[in-house]
Amino acid sequence: MRGLAQAVTSGLLIGAVYGLIALGLNIVFGTMRVVNFAQGTLLMAGMFMTYWLWELGGVHPYISPLVTDISPLVTAPLLFGLGFAVQHLFVSPLLARERAREPMSVLLLTLGLALVLENVALLFFSADFKTVTTDVSMQTFKIAGLIVSVPRLVGLGAMVATSLVLYLFFMHTDLGRAVRATGQDREVARLMGINDFRIYGVAYGLSAAMMGIAAAVLVPFFYIHPGVGTSFLLKAFVIVVLGGLGSMPGAALGGLLVGVIEGAVALWVQAAVAQIVLFAVFVAILFVRPAGLLGVERR
Amino acid sequence: MTRLSASVGLALLSIVGAALVPVATRALIGDDDYWLQVLIWVMFFAYLSAAWNLIGGFGGQYSIGHAGLLGIGAYTSSLLYVHAGVSPWLGMLAGGCLAAVVGGAIGYPCFRLRGAFFSLVTIAFAEMLRVGTELTDSLFGLPINGVRGFLLPVAGSRPADFQFVGKRGYYYVMLGLLVIILTVGWLVKRSRLGYYLAAIRDDEDAAAALGVHPARAKLLAMVLSSFFTAVGGTFYAQLIGFITPTRTMSLDFSVQMVVMPVLGGIGTVLGPLWGALVLVPIGEVTRALWGGSLQGVHLIIYGALLMLVILKWPQGIDPWLRGLVARRRETPVAAQPALADAPVVAARASPDGGEALLRVDGLSRSFGGAVGVRDLAFEVAPGEVVGIIGANGAGKTTVFNLITGALAADGGDVWFAGRRLGRETPDARSRLGIARTFQIVRPFIGLTALENVMVAALPRAASVAEARREAGRWLAFAGLAHRAGVIASGLSTGERKRLELARALATRPRLLLLDEVTGGVDQRSLPGLVRLMQGIRAEGLTLLVIEHNLRVVTALADRLVVLHLGEKIREGPPQAVVTDPAVVDVYVGATVARG
Repeated sequence: MRGLAQAVTSGLLIGAVYGLIALGLNIVFGTMRVVNFAQGTLLMAGMFMTYWLWELGGVHPYISPLVTDISPLVTAPLLFGLGFAVQHLFVSPLLARERAREPMSVLLLTLGLALVLENVALLFFSADFKTVTTDVSMQTFKIAGLIVSVPRLVGLGAMVATSLVLYLFFMHTDLGRAVRATGQDREVARLMGINDFRIYGVAYGLSAAMMGIAAAVLVPFFYIHPGVGTSFLLKAFVIVVLGGLGSMPGAALGGLLVGVIEGAVALWVQAAVAQIVLFAVFVAILFVRPAGLLGVERR
Repeated sequence: MTRLSASVGLALLSIVGAALVPVATRALIGDDDYWLQVLIWVMFFAYLSAAWNLIGGFGGQYSIGHAGLLGIGAYTSSLLYVHAGVSPWLGMLAGGCLAAVVGGAIGYPCFRLRGAFFSLVTIAFAEMLRVGTELTDSLFGLPINGVRGFLLPVAGSRPADFQFVGKRGYYYVMLGLLVIILTVGWLVKRSRLGYYLAAIRDDEDAAAALGVHPARAKLLAMVLSSFFTAVGGTFYAQLIGFITPTRTMSLDFSVQMVVMPVLGGIGTVLGPLWGALVLVPIGEVTRALWGGSLQGVHLIIYGALLMLVILKWPQGIDPWLRGLVARRRETPVAAQPALADAPVVAARASPDGGEALLRVDGLSRSFGGAVGVRDLAFEVAPGEVVGIIGANGAGKTTVFNLITGALAADGGDVWFAGRRLGRETPDARSRLGIARTFQIVRPFIGLTALENVMVAALPRAASVAEARREAGRWLAFAGLAHRAGVIASGLSTGERKRLELARALATRPRLLLLDEVTGGVDQRSLPGLVRLMQGIRAEGLTLLVIEHNLRVVTALADRLVVLHLGEKIREGPPQAVVTDPAVVDVYVGATVARG
């Protein structure tokens, strides 16, 4: 039983980071009904920024005696700007054109963007794996006999904190309410004087900025390379389908679920079985609750 | 017909030309297979893209996991060949059938939901299948070697086992497959299924309101697409002789199957071929120039082209190529037939012996806390014209949505032709004989006016040709015969309203719900539309009409139902109702009534 408990613990910790990425996908989807294929690329960009900040400036991803010089404080605003710009330059013209329809062409557009950015990164940074070895990278501690990896625990903490901040933002600020209103009915929100394209920029930027946080918690224990974003993105897609498209608690729940299935079954039995279990859960949920565990069925 | 035979002739000429290529290269450059290999890749990707196009292009359901289906085809035939000695030709069919089942099973739950969800599910499916295969060393006791993959034994020249020495054999097989898939695409595009898919791609709700079963059409397209994709997977395995999950089920494959049809012209028959003809050589050239060190260059170009096409050129290459060959043609339609040629709209006699055709009883629906409709009851007799009036927000369109099944009622019953409607979907109700128009018109903007009406006629027509004839008659009835070949996005608002009427009539309804036909129409178009509605009325069709224009509705209706805040406040003959002080009060406003 100790082995299983250990596996569940490890799974929960990595699942939290998955959840963070899925959360970013769902913010964009929930607001503008767009599946953002460039989400993984934004994470990759965040990880490279974090890497260079550490290599060249000695900026730690998240530990500093001065709270003011950790990398997300640099990367999150940069990514927000990048996300806002992508939305403004590429996504807005399409959303304006396809006002009446579900904006499916945006999905293809972000797919194109992801192809370009990932392969440009490959051109400049090569496919070599880079690592950031900080003092916390290998640190673990024991609690109730379970080994807990410090950087992964930071990941869980980051997800919980980010979710809380987002919850407060969406529920208790005017801008947050405007984002939710636009997500529910764009036309009515416009009639209420909300600039929908600015709101979309904010949502896209916010979701990009979150990748700065995810990058910071990932970098101390994960390889950095141009394809890293895509591998996390693919996992995030599975999570989003499981948890519910557009549902923020669904993203967190789905992330933890995938982490636990992968971690627990892989350690307990073997990795191949974990994939089969994951697939079975996926298919079962698809048939029983096609909108996902916490998704809202839109017909 | 001459245009059709010219196209067929051109196609045959291209096939013969392509078939002679290996002979020509052999004569010119000897047995160097490089150029044949490049052509095989062009045809292979054109084939895969055309298979993807069946669901992605025609139906607008973007799968980004077709590589998973490709992998199913490659693994099925290879495992059967290596472990059971089954010829890959048979294995190819087996893999195709397995993929059709899997693709259908993955698609089925998605098709009850909308767009983006299907993309997510397909990509998640392909990803899990790839990782699962990478981690699996044996399947049912058969070694598949996980991530290392396995080699197919080389048997020399054995056409019966799908093995050829040199590239020429594979070239001809691929050419044959490409001809088959393009023919399938051509046939689907012209079939009932093709029209349904095009309508669903533009507006699924409007298609369902015309009696099209959206989930069934999408499922059929997905099954076909999955089958042919897996067949391509077997070809790939035989050509390369070595399969790994990382390669056969790669995101790269899935993405290329999307990029090529989009560039070539999404939803067109030949678009996948144009896309492959442009993109595969670009990939070959960049690989030849920069080799392994800069492996991603061609993907940068693919991605940039994809963005460019979607932003600036959403129709892709195909329309431009067509423009080079011939000017856009308008679908020819028989000379404008007289009104008398139109099919009989409806019989006045009641099929159910004097009973009401529509009966609504205790119907209620609220939205969150807000009341949409509360405890509503009224009847419509066969042949009767009933108008529903009321201020904005009175619940008029909600009533329509409840009758057509676009919304589910919280309580109460809808009876139609002596039958209680329960969980019937909008398309099922349309097939029972309930048709509607939408307040904000929803034409299928990518189809011509004639094709728009054909979609409505098809669920009841015996053939596509019959639906075309019938659609022509309904267009003439609606006064749009001269606009039959115009793409719907080019029609004016007044014309779109007429188109929507023609579409609703072509479903051969027993009850037609008209939602604000005169709304948003300029004064000049108004009299024509009113005459058209009176023409429909004169044919004896039972109508339920929402109308803001009191003059129009009092002239048209036998009886009016007045709604206020979701409840019926008056019902009776038009003149009596519109002069009733209570009605004037809620409808025109209290100050006017008292002043």
